[in-house]
Amino acid sequence: MFTSNPFADLTVFLPPIAMQVYIVLMIVAVAVGTVLDMLHKSSGKFFARQMEKSKAAATRELSGADIASLAVKTIAIEIATSGEFCNPQRRISHILMFYGFLFYLTTTIVMIFGYPAAAMPVPVVFPILWNIGILMILIGGYWFFFFLRVNVAQDGQPIFRLVLADLFIVTLLGSVTFAFIWEIVQTAGNLTATKIAFGLYIIFTTLLFGSVRWSKLAHMFYKPVVAFQRRLEEANGSSSLPMPSTRNEVR
Amino acid sequence: MPTFVYMSSCDGCGECVDICPSDIMHIDPTTRRAFNSEPNFCWECYACVKACPQNAIDVRGYAEFAPLGHSVRVLREEGKGTISWKIKFRDGREKNFVSPIRTTPWGSIKSPSDYEAPMPDAFKTQELAHEPESLNIDKLPALAPDNLKHRVV
Repeated sequence: MFTSNPFADLTVFLPPIAMQVYIVLMIVAVAVGTVLDMLHKSSGKFFARQMEKSKAAATRELSGADIASLAVKTIAIEIATSGEFCNPQRRISHILMFYGFLFYLTTTIVMIFGYPAAAMPVPVVFPILWNIGILMILIGGYWFFFFLRVNVAQDGQPIFRLVLADLFIVTLLGSVTFAFIWEIVQTAGNLTATKIAFGLYIIFTTLLFGSVRWSKLAHMFYKPVVAFQRRLEEANGSSSLPMPSTRNEVR
Repeated sequence: MPTFVYMSSCDGCGECVDICPSDIMHIDPTTRRAFNSEPNFCWECYACVKACPQNAIDVRGYAEFAPLGHSVRVLREEGKGTISWKIKFRDGREKNFVSPIRTTPWGSIKSPSDYEAPMPDAFKTQELAHEPESLNIDKLPALAPDNLKHRVV
């Protein structure tokens, strides 16, 4: 079940070209949503202004190698290992969702564009990674949704009172949950259940990628910029934070 | 001087929500980041500023002495037991302060929940739970009735 291309069996009622067009539409939706989100929040202007301020207040000149090293640190710490999170549970949950989403997304694209026909044998690694990705998102996502959401865990709001900030996690969980259900019922050979589960999967997936303007998906683009900016300010001396203390009061 | 949150730095950990004695630090329903929901009710204790692990909370200085262009930033270093403040004035002047927070390692003080629940008899005494042992003294100083002014007792 976990070693066959789940999209190949869909060709019974859905031509491969329709799946490929859908993927392209979702990529366009994410791009448009991100641009609209940036325009709405003036993120581009904000970061440009921060960059100018940082340059004007800099006390040290940074070489190209220094800046490259800061970029590498940002990629290795803030992006690859979600180093921004101070709460280790949130960090693990985020890492699970981040890598799970990457596996799931990449293998989906590879299987739909690389192996569209049912007759084309797909290397077993892709369906396995697709399923591992889904499981990682499900574990990290439901853990976050039920136990780690700050408005629930810290602010005391009821678990099922959904707010706009939940749009991303709810649509993501809806999408992968129904993807998993659809794969199971499809393997069991129930065509009606397959169509229903697949329909729900498409609804949640469309909501996930079509709601970038209102959801938190765009954070994956601007959070690394913020992290890099912070490292740059610390390195060139323009940070408004106090210098670390030279005293140690703990005895 | 009430506090405010830099949304781009906040990671939504909720430390400020937990620590705010006025219960005015809350989570924004759109961004899931912290914000000061009632700056006019801020006690200005700066517990949130000191507790924020991301240094995402700043102090909005009063216009009389810190008008536009100022900043009041804080860096809490648990390992060193210090807290440093950097005040920038609009005219470019800068003042830096470093103060000790404590002299014992972070997390080494027992929290109230780490103590055993008091016995029912303890409610009849004037001492609070686990006093005077928890204060590292033998006895709390108290006035005896004959030390009090005439007719007070």
